[in-house]
Amino acid sequence: MSKPKSSDYKESEVDKVNAAVAMADKKYFRENYLPKQKEFIERSFKEESGLMSMGEGRAQADTMQALTQNPNRRAVGAVDAQADLASAASAQQLQGTAQGLLGARSDQVAGIKSANQMASQTAAGLSQASKIATTDTLNRAKAKQTRNSALIGAATKLGVQAGANYRGYRAAEITNKGEAGKPANEQDLVPMDSGAGLFKILTGRGLG
Amino acid sequence: MSLYDNMRSRQDYAGQLQGVQNPDNAFAGMLRQDYNDYIANFRQYEDKLLGMTDDTTLIDRSRENAEKQAEIAAGVQSRNLERYGGGGLSGAQLQEQQKSAQRGNQLSLAGTVNNARVQQREMNQSLLQELIGIGQGVNARSLEGLGTAAQGAVARRGAYKQAKANYSSQMTNMGASILAAFLI
Repeated sequence: MSKPKSSDYKESEVDKVNAAVAMADKKYFRENYLPKQKEFIERSFKEESGLMSMGEGRAQADTMQALTQNPNRRAVGAVDAQADLASAASAQQLQGTAQGLLGARSDQVAGIKSANQMASQTAAGLSQASKIATTDTLNRAKAKQTRNSALIGAATKLGVQAGANYRGYRAAEITNKGEAGKPANEQDLVPMDSGAGLFKILTGRGLG
Repeated sequence: MSLYDNMRSRQDYAGQLQGVQNPDNAFAGMLRQDYNDYIANFRQYEDKLLGMTDDTTLIDRSRENAEKQAEIAAGVQSRNLERYGGGGLSGAQLQEQQKSAQRGNQLSLAGTVNNARVQQREMNQSLLQELIGIGQGVNARSLEGLGTAAQGAVARRGAYKQAKANYSSQMTNMGASILAAFLI
């Protein structure tokens, strides 16, 4: 079993290209498309009045062309000619204004929708980033926990062994104490260092 | 030779791109900048559009236009009368013509403004509908974002509690095992 190498966990060629291309695309978008998007929205608000004026201008020209191109005596003498002209021209003007305003509104809504879509993508990206960050945090915590578990496991093993060594030493002491009362040729002493310190006892070097 | 052979680039553009050292940091930075860009460049227009649901541009402008058209029509009529030497109309007839024009202008003004009100309402309603659609999107994405954040927070909290419980249990086991080894 070999030690893990950081090179085994390095990004693959696909990961590298993916990140580099995505970054370059994003840069290109920011430098080229984002300004256009802003320009579109700015223009849609700035040109609202202009669009209405254009619609009104056309309506005016159409009305005058239709109603004033033949000013004969009958028209001059008619009681309602002036009022008719004013009424028709006003109605046409309204249509022109409405068309212009409708066009402007439509552009404004489209622009805001598109900007909002960008914001949605940002939010979706943030969600994804948050998921990635949580996964990363949890993975790091899990790795730390695994290390801690291993350390606690090792400490438990060492502690249990030290306990066993201590018990062995104590048992040897008791045995040797019992054997001490017997004649020297009958004694069956357990070989041990009777003056061993606690460290020697716990590490098992007090016996033998 | 296939068609693609003519189109195939001999240049390795992808190979010349700058590498991304830390993609998750770059991603986070990019998203932060995107949000800042959105607020700095588009929020003011979004607010402007939101404030246009009670717009009266069409009504205001049509009122001005109706008055202007009455003046223009009066000018046309007066020039025509001059061209035709009064058109053979008597003083009384001219007076009657003026009265009729005034009545007509008033009616025209009222009619135009009323029509403008109807059209303005339609336009404002339509804008409102579009804004509601946009708002639904904003609402959905904010809920989604918060949902993910909440999910992450719960997962982290759960993992922390679990880790604490594991640690405590392992420490207790260790203490008990060592103590047992000394005592038994």
